Amino acid sequence: MATTAEGFDIHHDHGHDAHDHADHKPGFFARWFMSTNHKDIGTMYLIFAIIAGIVGGAISGIMRVELAEPGIQYLQWWAQFMGGANDVNTALHMWNVFITAHGLIMVFFMVMPAMIGGFGNWFVPLMIGAPDMAFPRMNNVSFWLTVAGFFSLLFSLFVPGGTGPGAGTGWTVYAPLSTTGSVGPAVDFAIFSLHLSGAGSILGATNFITTIFNMRAPGMTLHKMPLFVWSVLVTAFLLLLALPVLAAAITMLLTDRNFGTTFFTPAGGGDPVLYQHLFWFFGHPEVYIMILPGFGMISQIIATFSKKPVFGYLGMAYAMVAIGVVGFIVWAHHMYTVGLDVNTKMYFTAATMVIAVPTGVKIFSWIATMWGGSLSFKSPMVWSMGFIFLFTVGGVTGVVLANGGIDDNLHDTYYVVAHFHYVLSMGAVFSMFAGFYYWFPKMSGRMHSELLSHIHFWTFFVGVNVIFFPQHFLGMQGMPRRYPDYNVAYQFWHEVSTFGYYIMAGSMVFFFVNILYALVAGKKAEANPWGEGATTLEWTLPSPPPYHQFETLPVITDAHDYHDHRPVTA
Amino acid sequence: MASLAPPSPDTSRRNLRTGAFAFAGALAMLGLGYASVPLYRLFCQVTGFGGTTMNATESDAVRAAAAATGQKISIRFDATTAMGMPWTFRPAQATDTVTIGERDIATYIARNDSDQPITGVASFNVEPEQAGKYFNKIQCFCFTEQTLQPGQEVTMPVLYFVDPAALDDPNMQGVEQITLSYTFHRAEDPVNPAPERNN
Amino acid sequence: MKNAFLAVVAAGLAAFAPLSVAAQDAAPAAPVAAEAAPAAAPAAAVDAAAPAAGAAAEASAYTPMAPTKGKGMPTSYQDDPAKSLTFQDQYSANGEYALWMHDMILLPVITVISLFVLGLLLWVVVRFNRRANPVASKTTHNTMIEVVWTIVPVIILVIIAVPSITLLARQYETPPADAVTIKATGYQWYWGYTYPDHGEIEVISNMLDEAEALKRGEPGQLAVDNRMVVPAGVPLRIQTTASDVIHAFAVPSLWFKMDAVPGRLNEKLLTIKEPGVYYGQCSELCGARHAYMPIVVEALPPAEFAAWVKAQGGSMPGEEAAAPAAAPAAEAAAPATAG
Repeated sequence: MATTAEGFDIHHDHGHDAHDHADHKPGFFARWFMSTNHKDIGTMYLIFAIIAGIVGGAISGIMRVELAEPGIQYLQWWAQFMGGANDVNTALHMWNVFITAHGLIMVFFMVMPAMIGGFGNWFVPLMIGAPDMAFPRMNNVSFWLTVAGFFSLLFSLFVPGGTGPGAGTGWTVYAPLSTTGSVGPAVDFAIFSLHLSGAGSILGATNFITTIFNMRAPGMTLHKMPLFVWSVLVTAFLLLLALPVLAAAITMLLTDRNFGTTFFTPAGGGDPVLYQHLFWFFGHPEVYIMILPGFGMISQIIATFSKKPVFGYLGMAYAMVAIGVVGFIVWAHHMYTVGLDVNTKMYFTAATMVIAVPTGVKIFSWIATMWGGSLSFKSPMVWSMGFIFLFTVGGVTGVVLANGGIDDNLHDTYYVVAHFHYVLSMGAVFSMFAGFYYWFPKMSGRMHSELLSHIHFWTFFVGVNVIFFPQHFLGMQGMPRRYPDYNVAYQFWHEVSTFGYYIMAGSMVFFFVNILYALVAGKKAEANPWGEGATTLEWTLPSPPPYHQFETLPVITDAHDYHDHRPVTA
Repeated sequence: MASLAPPSPDTSRRNLRTGAFAFAGALAMLGLGYASVPLYRLFCQVTGFGGTTMNATESDAVRAAAAATGQKISIRFDATTAMGMPWTFRPAQATDTVTIGERDIATYIARNDSDQPITGVASFNVEPEQAGKYFNKIQCFCFTEQTLQPGQEVTMPVLYFVDPAALDDPNMQGVEQITLSYTFHRAEDPVNPAPERNN
Repeated sequence: MKNAFLAVVAAGLAAFAPLSVAAQDAAPAAPVAAEAAPAAAPAAAVDAAAPAAGAAAEASAYTPMAPTKGKGMPTSYQDDPAKSLTFQDQYSANGEYALWMHDMILLPVITVISLFVLGLLLWVVVRFNRRANPVASKTTHNTMIEVVWTIVPVIILVIIAVPSITLLARQYETPPADAVTIKATGYQWYWGYTYPDHGEIEVISNMLDEAEALKRGEPGQLAVDNRMVVPAGVPLRIQTTASDVIHAFAVPSLWFKMDAVPGRLNEKLLTIKEPGVYYGQCSELCGARHAYMPIVVEALPPAEFAAWVKAQGGSMPGEEAAAPAAAPAAEAAAPATAG
């Protein structure tokens, strides 16, 4: 139990020659454009996600500035900037384009690539003792499909989309607004971008499932896998089962738009409500796709910095499985006002509330992991603790919204906006920053500044809370979402919210400065910079790990403690 | 310098098999996505979900009439025309009181206000939604497309009955009025396409 | 009367010419108004024609009710900080029940849970930091506590579920056969209200621009030229549908929100407790002017509602229905009776 990971060196037996092997890298083009190396692909995903995050975050800045006061301030300017006509409808259309682009970018091109493509690619093989992913070339295809999807979405901004350039349908792309309601190719390109990134994600999910099932090192049983690997496994299954349904739905949208089919058009016997059922059958699991890897990372980090194994490991793993399963049978709580009958609404109310139970198990297990631990508050730990609190706040407002009768008032208001930003913009994003600071030394071989990351944490924490907490008030007062303009009564809390955005944006400076500082002048990172609490396999490798790792597979033996999945050399 | 040794053939084979299974799962879900269109329609037609009405035969009507207890229910008739549909479409009367189980006839009136022949197709549902599975149509103009010449006005009948089984359904307790709603849409017409909206 | 009403509608639509589909398609006055409103914020567009609309409205017998500040509309932080933090006051029985459920059950529960988690986090920070607790325990199991934190949330959820299901059951009570029926139809981007039992009155409801709304003493962004007028204290059968894309009919102070879906009709019972003006907004993304198609429900005492119906050229149920086209005849009809 007391043995630390540093004692374990898989290259020990290979000597000098093997080391050269492991560090043999292809040339620049082959390495970065035709990459089959899971670490390189993971790095590319992370860089891509950061770029997409800057774009998506900038769009939210445009929106927050516009919303700082009632009336339309800047949208006409943006309409002309994007090549649209100089009229009111085009200006207002730009608003819908921004909310659509912000949603799609943050979901499909920031959170998913960072969590699954970035951290998943980097650390799933390392944590299970695999040399690489099961299908390295397919891994490369996944990444470039995602990039292509992003460009398709960006391209859609500059072609006609009905009342102006770009797709103004919302990320939900509800028919018939997205079919008969949006003339022009923009919506087609936006849909196509989902096809591309969706295909990439499905291939990625196949890859992760295969890797985790087949490529684990000897002795690494499923019940010894680190919880992050568990979380990626559950996420991969959600992707595999949910994304094809989205693909089918949006393909039918495309044919409705272009080839005269009427899947969702009442004129031909179709039903727009069916599109919503299909979208949310994907959309609700998608929410868990975005948060489950975060759960996994938080589990690793909390255990590391508490110097304790995760409390209730099996409960934690199966809570994620339970969340994934239940996530498939609650979708219509996004459609409470569409005209459901009473029994359907009661069922979805009850089923939705059930999710609170495994989620509660996770929250309390994290706290129990810390309980009795010896906590050091390094940057990943403070982000994780911030995550636990903010995710709880976002979770409990979810319980409020789960009530179909209460949702009759809150549906499509800022309360919902506040809710899902608490679980995503704070839940998912905090977990990503936690994971980033946790693994940055491993990935780059350099230590970041703890001071800068703590400043980043506190300013970001204050910023996002100032942005989103007042939005609960706005929602309860009746402020509908997806509005560029509002009654003056809502002004005060909108001003506060926009002020919070400035704090949050300023906070990101510390993040980027920190990365630059670390890459330029950061202290060289040891194999395990976090000490005895960091027990998973990636900390047994040098920082950064060699280009090829685990040429001889590590052997995980049955330690005394069943749930203390610490590697022991054979 | 040799690059990393490829995984053993055994692992490769296992990977291919697992990957193929996973991919097949994805394909199955894709198929399910498309299949959901007919499945959803079937589900609605069987359960009345979303206020979908039932199609009934003459013999169903006779059976229902035999079970009639003389209790009455009010029926409201609603008519809507969708965007781009230049028809005037309305029920001949807004409400009617009928005996549960006995067949009744309702008429709608449609007039083509444009100067060209227009083909329309109707979508429909009933409210409250739990009434869907008890609202039976024996004949309806909504079963087929309707073409009206310029200025032509027609009356269109619906022959229907309310299933007496509704009286035994706790979900139907307190339902005093059922609204039967139709929306007429312009059918896709390749010869005279609907004008494209230009806003 | 009907003609006067249509004139109001036409004026309203013309005022919205650059912004409204209907006006673009139909009203000959549109180009003039369009020139008057070159490009700026929607507010500018209506200025030109609004006085005409106002004048026409005054000509009719019915005078729109003046709204009460803070009733049926949002409250700003400056006016009342406490009210700006929570729901609008409720004016329907279901709304009051839902508000009670939120304020008395949900809000306390979620506040306590959040503070409990925060408290635990602060406690572990203080008690189990590296200095306070240098040697970590190795506890990874405690069956008792795991059962507790599974069962207790279940119990809390059951406690929430009881009023939640009750609320749903109440919201789904069906309207009586003689409920006053109003059909709200969503268009890009305005609402149409028809009264099928009242001589097929049709009200076209466009947003007033900010200046005109303030002139009339109404909240900006929320006021409309022609309101959805209903009787207070009696059951209403609200039906919604849409002509083009999905809209949603929503009034926060009545705890009422129902999508308007093209090709289908939705229906719900609503009983407004007292007369008043209740503002709402479209709540499903419906295109460019989604934010500019507000909903105004004006609840009148039944007798005044009957008078309004008459003023619109309609008739109360049971009276001889006035043909929609023969508006003058309606004026000659027998005096309307309450209810």
